[in-house]
Amino acid sequence: MTDTTEASATAYRCPFCRTTSAGTDANCPTCGAPVDIKLRTTTSGWTEIPPVADMAKIQLGQTSCQISGRLVPVAEFALAAGDSVYFPHSSMLWQEEAVKLDSMSMRKGWTRMRAGLPLIMLTASGPGRIAFSHDTAGEMIAVPLQPGQAVDVRENQMVVASSEVTYDWVDSGVWFTTMGDGRGGSGGNDQSSGMKLLKMGLDVAGAPGGDAGRDQRQEIEYHYPLGQYLDRFSATDKPGAIFVQSGGNSFMRDLAEGEQIMVKPPALLYKDTSVGLQMHVEFPHAGMKLWRSWGNRYLWLRLWGPGRVALQSSYDRLEDPGTDFREACRYTQQAW
Amino acid sequence: MTDVSERIQCKWCRGQSPASATTCERCGAPLDSRNVVTDAGWRQAPKIRDLTTVQVGASTYQLDGTVVPVAEADLGAGESAFFEHHAMLWKDFTVAMTVRDTPGGANRILAGMPFVLSEAHGAGRVSFSRDAPGELIILPIDPGVELDAREHAMLVASGNLSYTYEKVQGLKAILSAGTGMYLDRFVAQEATGLLVLHGYGNVLERTLGEGETIQVEPGGFLYKDAAVTMAISTISLKPEGANAGGQAVKGIATRGFAALKAARQLSKGGDLGNSLQTAAGAFTGSNSMALMLLTGPGRVGIQSMYFPHETA
Repeated sequence: MTDTTEASATAYRCPFCRTTSAGTDANCPTCGAPVDIKLRTTTSGWTEIPPVADMAKIQLGQTSCQISGRLVPVAEFALAAGDSVYFPHSSMLWQEEAVKLDSMSMRKGWTRMRAGLPLIMLTASGPGRIAFSHDTAGEMIAVPLQPGQAVDVRENQMVVASSEVTYDWVDSGVWFTTMGDGRGGSGGNDQSSGMKLLKMGLDVAGAPGGDAGRDQRQEIEYHYPLGQYLDRFSATDKPGAIFVQSGGNSFMRDLAEGEQIMVKPPALLYKDTSVGLQMHVEFPHAGMKLWRSWGNRYLWLRLWGPGRVALQSSYDRLEDPGTDFREACRYTQQAW
Repeated sequence: MTDVSERIQCKWCRGQSPASATTCERCGAPLDSRNVVTDAGWRQAPKIRDLTTVQVGASTYQLDGTVVPVAEADLGAGESAFFEHHAMLWKDFTVAMTVRDTPGGANRILAGMPFVLSEAHGAGRVSFSRDAPGELIILPIDPGVELDAREHAMLVASGNLSYTYEKVQGLKAILSAGTGMYLDRFVAQEATGLLVLHGYGNVLERTLGEGETIQVEPGGFLYKDAAVTMAISTISLKPEGANAGGQAVKGIATRGFAALKAARQLSKGGDLGNSLQTAAGAFTGSNSMALMLLTGPGRVGIQSMYFPHETA
């Protein structure tokens, strides 16, 4: 008699998270992607990552996670006793009083603060229920990690991770500096009339904070098209999962060994750690140099395989002053 | 003659509609779709079908769109609707406009609340939307029912509702709750009124039993029955043992940084409310977290997308 138990348990390999399961449920038990879905792949090779189906459940050991909603989905965890998850405090939506919250120790606090990363992560320990969401309209993507597997996620995309996954962050290595005009990046057009009046008052009184006293000297401005750091999540001896929120829709492709692709830096959602990256600058052909205009140059992220790359379709606008680099990371360039 | 026609009850608003209806006559919720409830008991707001119409008195309200939906009011003669002026999308030339005074006076300006609400008078059409993806929910309010909503969450309310406000008690609540200083309170007097709220992202509702509690991130709060009490509960975040000293030092450094950040926001022309919240973070510190403790009985509504208040 043939034992079919093992065979059926590995009958289905999820095309998105690459884990195997029986394939008898409507959704992949580790990432929530529909089992019966037909892959939607563009002719160029990008496959739509299906969001976790509304009300689908993902099992993480004794803990389960249920996804609810379509525009800005909520990940609702039923934490088993002894199980825990960690998250930036900004992603928490609600919790039962029984859930125990603690702060998670983080290294390089000052560096993280300067980089705009959450200084403190929180841990939530079961038993009890707790829910998370992200302040971006898009899709909740579960990324299961098997022991030995690791992924790099763009900063501030993480919603929550299971405690089996270790967290670290690495330099993105994508940066340049320019000489600024001392005004900062945002200008001042969005000030309310009340605030303008207040600043005029400060100017009249000669107090700091008014426009008149603003430093007009040139100063060095740092730019990080991809963010200063990438979040790195690794599973060591136990499988775990992270949940990331994409802005808009999300797409994935497998890059073969040495295969390259250019992507807009802020559009990167996550990638396998085996995928290399570097800044690439293109100068369009023009009859005259369009100094300090959008047509002066294009900033790209050059990615090369092997490994998975996932993108999001809605992302922060890439700010580039268009002035010459003063210093920069190692980058490649192409002038047309 | 006795009305013997069959009626069915809406699972969302409990209103009754004829058995042949596919959407609730009071709130527009589909009557032929399942009630979607998570394991924890949060019910998804009904997915109101595109172009669903709801009647209130001589006025009708129609919802249009799915990502950033629009509420279009066709006001009957002598009827009105009130709203915050920036929510208005378009109107017929003939629709007369007035302002409705709000209680609270200058305190409301300080809290970033509108000093006056705009009111449109029928007959004619006027429509409303908010500048973010989300869901519209229609809440019929019967006489005697009081409902509290997050400030600025109101898209439009029928003119027969009375509007007042509930002050969030205590400085700590004002600074750390992230809801500002006031909750909008809507009360129906003689006839059923209609309130259309916009929730960022998805909207979920749960009915708390007598004495049942839930802790909600203040930014996620959307509405509640007035019977549901609200308090701020502070959770102490104890650093992990091995690095407790380092975390404590980091906490102090963070408070200093938060205070500097608040001052910088203000001097750079930032929003006063945000600066206050950042300053609140500096004083409440990184080793605690403020959550909204809601105690039943009654309904609680939350939104899944929000801009969290500063805790770090």
